[in-house]
Amino acid sequence: MTYKVTEEGNISTVHLDGEIDMDVTEKAKEVIMPLIEAKKEVHLNLKEVQYMDSSGISVLIESHQKAMELGTKVTLKEISKSVLKVIMMAKLEQILNLD
Amino acid sequence: MEQSHIANVDEKRDFEVNSSNLKHVRSFCREVFEKLNINQELKDELILAIAEAAQNIVKHAYNNEQTEDKMEIKISVSDGHLEIGFFDKGRPVEKDKIRHRKIDDIKPGGLGTFFIQQIMDAVVFKEGEKPWINHLILSKNLNN
Repeated sequence: MTYKVTEEGNISTVHLDGEIDMDVTEKAKEVIMPLIEAKKEVHLNLKEVQYMDSSGISVLIESHQKAMELGTKVTLKEISKSVLKVIMMAKLEQILNLD
Repeated sequence: MEQSHIANVDEKRDFEVNSSNLKHVRSFCREVFEKLNINQELKDELILAIAEAAQNIVKHAYNNEQTEDKMEIKISVSDGHLEIGFFDKGRPVEKDKIRHRKIDDIKPGGLGTFFIQQIMDAVVFKEGEKPWINHLILSKNLNN
């Protein structure tokens, strides 16, 4: 997995790229969580994520819940077909902010 | 009986038990499923189920601890019936404790087993024959 972070006002966009499994979830959290803790609105761009398993889904849930707790928001942007399928399999499409 | 249009395969591979090998597990599955006449969506689902089961071995049978042990994954298809065997030498699986979290209870974790059960027709835990400790069998009829 690789990533790139762009900033625009109070919105930080994290562009994730590659496959997100148990091996890279800590790395993903290390990128995403400090932005949420800084009370940024976080956009996760998942266009280039070709594979995500339950560990990746856990990162999305954790990020969403942390953001709610701190009064900010995480939005999933340009979700790839394969990631959307896993989100739907987990029945999270009504819980997470999908755009 | 009508013959299945899906090729028969029988392949196995060993992987060191650690999270950095999960990508190699997926590559092995992709290689094997390339030989089968099944759609991409089903291939992706099967790869997810297998990777989740392999992840459970790393996480639960070995508690994510460093080990030199290997796990073996065997993929067989015969007359359209897919059977995937997972063999490991980790802690014995306590079958009664294996359950996915309630899907309405939104929290990180506990989804892997849910995905496996959603995708596969059957999930069976057996005691492994020596030298293995655990033997998990996932199966699915690909003719449906």
